[in-house]
Parts: sequence; C-alpha cells; structure tokens
Amino acid sequence: MFGKGLVKGLNVTWKEFWSKKFTVQYPDEQHTKPPRFHGKFQLNSDACIACGLCANACPNGVIKIESEKVNKKKYLTKYVMNIQYCLFCGMCVEACNKGALRFTQEHDMSQYFYKDIPLVFVDREAPKPDPETENKEKDDDKSKKAGKAPEKEGQ
Amino acid sequence: MLRTETYTVNFGPQHPATHGVFRVMLNLDGERIVKAEPVCGYLHRGVEKLAENRTYQQVIPYTDRLDYLAAGLQNQGYVETIEKLMEIEVPDRAEYLRIITAELSRIASHVLFVGVYALDIGAFTGFLLCFRERERILDLMEELTGSRMTYSYARIGGVAADAPEGWLDRVEKVVNDLPYYFDIYDDLISGNEIFQARTKYVGYLSAESAVDYSLSGPTLRGSGIDYDLRKAKPYSIYDRFNFEVPLGENGDCFDRYFCRILEMRQSVYILQQAIEQIRETDGPIMAKVPKVLKPPKGEAYHEIESSKGILGYYVVSDGSNKPYRVHVRRPSFVNLGFLDEMCRGGLVADLVAILGSIDIVLGEVDC
Amino acid sequence: MLETIFIDIANWIRNLLGSAGVPALWNDTVMMLVKLTAIIVFILINALWLVYMERKVAGYMQARIGPNRVGPKGLLQTTADIGKLISKEIIIPKNVDKILFLLAPVLIFVPPLTIFSVIPFGKNMMAIDLNIGLFFVFAIASLSTLIFWIGGWSSYNKYSLLGSMRVISQMVSYELPMMLALLGVIMIVGSLNLSEIILAQESAWFIISQPIAFLIFFIAAVAECNRVPFDLMEGESEIIAGPYTEYSGMGFAMFFLAEYANIMIASAMTTVLFLGGWLAPFGLTFIPSWLWFFVKMYVVIFVFMWLRWTYPRVRIDQLLGFGWKVLVPLSLANIFVTGIGMYIYRALGW
Repeated sequence: MFGKGLVKGLNVTWKEFWSKKFTVQYPDEQHTKPPRFHGKFQLNSDACIACGLCANACPNGVIKIESEKVNKKKYLTKYVMNIQYCLFCGMCVEACNKGALRFTQEHDMSQYFYKDIPLVFVDREAPKPDPETENKEKDDDKSKKAGKAPEKEGQ
Repeated sequence: MLRTETYTVNFGPQHPATHGVFRVMLNLDGERIVKAEPVCGYLHRGVEKLAENRTYQQVIPYTDRLDYLAAGLQNQGYVETIEKLMEIEVPDRAEYLRIITAELSRIASHVLFVGVYALDIGAFTGFLLCFRERERILDLMEELTGSRMTYSYARIGGVAADAPEGWLDRVEKVVNDLPYYFDIYDDLISGNEIFQARTKYVGYLSAESAVDYSLSGPTLRGSGIDYDLRKAKPYSIYDRFNFEVPLGENGDCFDRYFCRILEMRQSVYILQQAIEQIRETDGPIMAKVPKVLKPPKGEAYHEIESSKGILGYYVVSDGSNKPYRVHVRRPSFVNLGFLDEMCRGGLVADLVAILGSIDIVLGEVDC
Repeated sequence: MLETIFIDIANWIRNLLGSAGVPALWNDTVMMLVKLTAIIVFILINALWLVYMERKVAGYMQARIGPNRVGPKGLLQTTADIGKLISKEIIIPKNVDKILFLLAPVLIFVPPLTIFSVIPFGKNMMAIDLNIGLFFVFAIASLSTLIFWIGGWSSYNKYSLLGSMRVISQMVSYELPMMLALLGVIMIVGSLNLSEIILAQESAWFIISQPIAFLIFFIAAVAECNRVPFDLMEGESEIIAGPYTEYSGMGFAMFFLAEYANIMIASAMTTVLFLGGWLAPFGLTFIPSWLWFFVKMYVVIFVFMWLRWTYPRVRIDQLLGFGWKVLVPLSLANIFVTGIGMYIYRALGW
C-alpha cells in the first residue's frame, strides 16, 4: 500500500528519538585509542643509532637526520620530523630495527605558529666537539636544506 | 510566440552535492538539463607521477589517498600488482587479513554511499545514522592498522601486522550486527515512497551502453550485467567464498543504489566465512621478500573489484627500485563518462540523484 | 485566575489609562500598540526557541545530542547565533538590485506579524476579532511568496532565481487545495470568524469530522512553509540555499527566523481549524485555555519537525503533480461529500 514506507520511516526516527545517543563530547570525553594508533611520534634517542633507515623508508622525506662520527660510532646530533608533510603511514616505525621510533596515542599536533610544527626530537652537539668546524658544517647543511624545499602534496 | 533561452549554471566546484570539488557545467532550459559537461581536475595531485619518484613500498600510502573511503581495496590492488610482477606467493593468513580489510572497506564505503545518497535526495537523518555504523567499522580498522581511513595496511608480500588479540571476535560481532542496520536503512531510506519516486526511472542506463562506456561496479550491475571480478576472474582467494552477485533490473538510480545495499549483505556473508576460515589458518603474515625490492624488467596489469568498480593498476618496471610508470584505472573516473547522457532531459534535482548514484570519490576521479 | 491572566493584564492597563483621564480613542490606540508589541515579542521568543528545538529534535533523531554548550543545556545557542549574525557584515554582491535586496529581509516579517493579530490564543484572547479572520489569514499568508520572489530576483544569482521560481509555482499550486479543503470546515461552521470556528468544535474536533480536509490542509501547510518533504525552495543539495544564497549576516537571519514564524502560523491555524483551538479536551478545563492552545500548537510543530528529519525531498514536477492531480481533486471531492453529508444531516432533522 502506498504510504507504508512513509510510516515505517517515521517509526525509525521515532525510535531513534528515544534511544541512546552516540555523541562523544570531545574535549571532556575522549575515545580510547588502540595501542597501534598512529599518533604523535616518539623517539628514544639513546636507542637510535642514526642508521637512517626511517628516513629512507619515508615516502615524503619527512625525516631529517644528522649524525657525527664519534669514536667510530655514529652519534645522533639532529633528528627533525617535518610533521606537516607526514602521511602517518607508519613506514618509518616499521623500518626501525632498534625500536627507537614509536607511535604514541597523542593525536593533537596542531600548533599556533608554522615554525612550531616540526617535531624536533634531538638537536644537540656531539660529545667531542670541535666548535668552529661543527658550526660551519651546520650552517652549510642549513643553506642546503633551504635551497631544496620538500615536496608538497595538495589535499 | 514565446521564445525561451537556455542558460549556463556552474554546478560546483563548490557545491554541496558534488562530493568534493567537482564541476558540472549545466546548460539549463528552465529546470530541464540540455547538456551537462563534467569538468574534473580540481583535486589533481599527480599521484601517478609522484609514484615514479618513490620506491615500490613507498607508493602504498599514496594509493590510500585515491579512494580514501575504501583505502583497504586500493592497497590490495596495488600490492597484488607488484606481487604479480615479482611472482611473490603471499601466505594464506595475509590473504585472509587482506580480504577482511577489503570487505570491511567495501562495507564502509557503501554505508557512506547510502548515507550521502540519502543526503543528496534530502533525507538528512539517513546520512548521520549511516555514519554511526561506519564509525564502528572505522574503529575496528583503527585497531588493526592504526589509522581510521588511510590504512596503508597491505604490504608487498603480505600485510603490515597481524590481527591484535580478540580483534577477530570484535569484527565478528560488528559483522553480525550489520544486517540489522541494513534493515533500518531499508525502512528509512529505500522503502520510502518519496525516495523511490525520486530515484526510480531516473538516470536510465541501458545494459549495452553501460558495456560500451566500459562502466563497472554497481553502476554496471545496476543495469543487470553480471560482471563482478570477484566471481568472473577470482583474484586473491575469492574462489574460496560462497557469495552472490546482486543485480539490478531497470538500470535506474534506485537499482544502482539498491545493488549496493545488497552487496553489503553479501560482503557480510563473505566476512563471516573469512573469519571462520582465518581462525583455522595460522602462519606467517609476510612472504620472504628482500628489503630492497627490485622487480625484473617488465610490466604488469592487475585489476580488482573495488567498491566503485574495476580498479586496475598498471606498473612498468625498469629493473630499478622505483617504478618506471604507474597508471591507475580509476573506476569513479571511468563511470563519470556517461553522466551527460544520463542527465539530458532530466531536472536539476535529477542531476544530483544521478551524480550521487554513480558514487564518485573525487580523490579517485582526479587522481 | 490563570485562565484570564492576560485579559486581566489588558483590562488593568485599560483601567489605568482610563483613570488617568486618557481619551477613549487614545486609550484604544495604546491598547492596540501594547497588544502588537506583545505579539512581536511572542513571535521572536518563540522563533528563537523553535530554532533551538529544531536542532535538538534533529539531534535526538540522529543519535546526537544537539546544541549543549552555550548556556544551560545549550538554551542560549540561538541567541548566540543571532548575536553572531548581527555582528557580521552584510555583503551586497555586485549587480544586485540594492533596494529590493535589502528590502526583502525587512518585509519578510510583516505577513507573520499581521496574521498573528487575528489568531485566538485563548478564550477571548485575540488582538483583533475579525469576522473574516480566516479569509484575512490566507490573504496575508500568500503575500510572503512575493517577498521570497523579491529576494530571489534581486540577488542576481541563478540559484536564487531557480529557488524563487520554485517558491512561486509551489505556493500557487498548494494555496488552492488548502483553501478548497477549508471550504468543508467553513460549510459546517457557516462563518469565517476564527472564534466561531473554534466554538463549533465543542462537541467534536474537525479532525474527526473532516479527516480528509485535515490531511490535505496539513500537507499543503507543510508545502506553504517550505518544509521537508517540500523544501524545494532551499533544496541545499540542488540549488544551495535558493533565494537565501546571496544573503549574509542579519539578512539571512531574518529569513531564517521568518521560516519559524511561518511554521508557527501553520501549526496555529491547524490547531484552530482542526484541533479545537483553545478548547480543553476530555473536560480538562482546570488547565488554562491558552496553555491548551500552546500544547496543541507545539504538538503540531513537533510533527512538522519529525517529518523534516525523516523524509527526503520531492522533485519539482512531482510536487506540482501531487498538488494538482491528487490534492485538488481530493479536496473538491471532500467539499462534495461534506455538502451531501450536511444535506442528509438536515433532512434527518437531528
């Protein structure tokens, strides 16, 4: 009969009107995030051997690593993630042999200023420094980087 | 004598019913459509070109961004192409996990379609109720892959991670709940007489022209042509499952819509079987593949049945660790080709119904 | 006491003015102004509340909770929205007909305000007791069509034009069945006075004796208010916002509030004509008559919202076809049947 579907529809919304609501009132309540959640990154700088596997695995060139040789071992001096280009695919975490790079459950990475967006995990000097040469090297690297802008991807 | 003039209306790129940034140049005579010219490219990101500068594994996250509503299927399509190129045998458990993510993606995509289609026709409640069920599927996917929409789950030779503890039980629970919600959609949306009046006998697509324009997916099957790659050319392990291919009769908007509802029920059926079978399948989730992939010189084309239609990947290898060329056959883009002819003579409201029934995702159309 | 509270207040003001030695003519003028101000305040407060109620009902029907942040339970949400809209710039696009473009949102509130002056809110509670009240209501109500058309035409936008053309065709084809459906009621009552129509429902509401007329009237009223399933004028998935497309700031807010004023009129008229107005059902007279009126009005408004959040939108040709091919013949048949029924009724001499 014509009109049966109309009444059925009204019945659905009527039932919905009285049933439990699905809203999670965000800032007050939050979803529990599963352990595998792709959130903010976390680097254990002591475990990191500056091998560069993560930087190689990254499709977008997000990770920038600088290291220095100290006593024939690589010493991590700089580890920066330009998180604005990150796809959160998890390739870098997967590539890490030492379990140094991890995801955390934190998802809020928005910043007020653009310059605050990159995640700077490590920015330190090597233990046996030769101040003049190192500073010079750093400056050189910076100018190189400025010339080569990372690839952008439009949404 | 009264003389009327046609006028041009730009339907989009910023328009609520175009599902993104899609533009249709409409030639209207009053409310009648004289000509509808689709203009796409507003979301072009050059994924195919980007892929040429990435290693084979690094392309996977980009495939997510094509059809971001069913990323599981996109991943599957790409990695299977590379596996075909390199002749890698994928472990059984990985195949099952891929099937489960693919079918969950398909349901998520179709559920969203049902909701958005209801919104296009004007029923707002259907839209949000559908989101509620989609949310449960996304929660499951988040638990498995860590992401809600862009999974990047499949890997060349397997999958990224095994299912976490108890995940399969939760999937089973959601999957068993879903048919109840499909009944609600039937009551609220498909059974509604106004909805039927809006969509039945609108946007007719004959079986012959559907084949001529090489349409695929539910858009093709709505016209009554039984061609589902999962049945016609079983890829992966689809030959192990028992399911039917729902078909439409009239080739109108309602059939295309209803095909998807029925397809979701079939997906539920497949998922139930897959969960049952994966419980008895143990083993590795990754085949033995080298860290640096260097496929032999050559090319491979592989197509799968995506939620929108036939999704094909064409990869050319020059022997290095980066693909020489990647081309994607995007079903949304191909299906759009028939828009003009379906719209002619219809009203502006019909255009919305027709465009919605093709179920385009702009990320895939513009690539 | 509660029953006559508003009448008492009116009488008190009148006596106060009388005792102060104000001449009778001035006294009447002041009383009229007071009543009209009361109506304006009433409409605005109700419109604000209705926007909130709509969003809450929509939320509850969609498994959400709706506005809940501004004020207790989100009650001040609409006030905040209106405050925001007032503070916004009114953008006047290039090429618009400036005078008409700005005039339309001003005029849009005139028909609802005028109509409310004749609606009886309770026993003896109406600003003006017109003996052609019903006629007056529908004559004024059709005027709002013109204002939508003014807004759509002057916007210089193709979507606005499409929307306002839809309004015109919709109103023309639904005014007719609406009036024809009411003829059945008018025939039974024999008067166009709204109070008399209410009093005639003492024994049985017209929804019982005139169910077909009620159905036609209700459908046509939904269409007149441009509500789902007949909200073709706005049709956000097709023509963005119809005549409102180019309006911003307070211009848009006026249209928005006027929509709710129109809903109030439609539901108030449904209450008056078919649900017994302020008459108390089942002899529950201890509840004041004006409260009964509001309860009934809000039930009808809820049904309006319930429909809106359930149904999809019809197409323009289906809308016109339904109006002319179904509702008009049905209402004509209703008049015919009512006439025969009344004749038999009289012949039997009850």
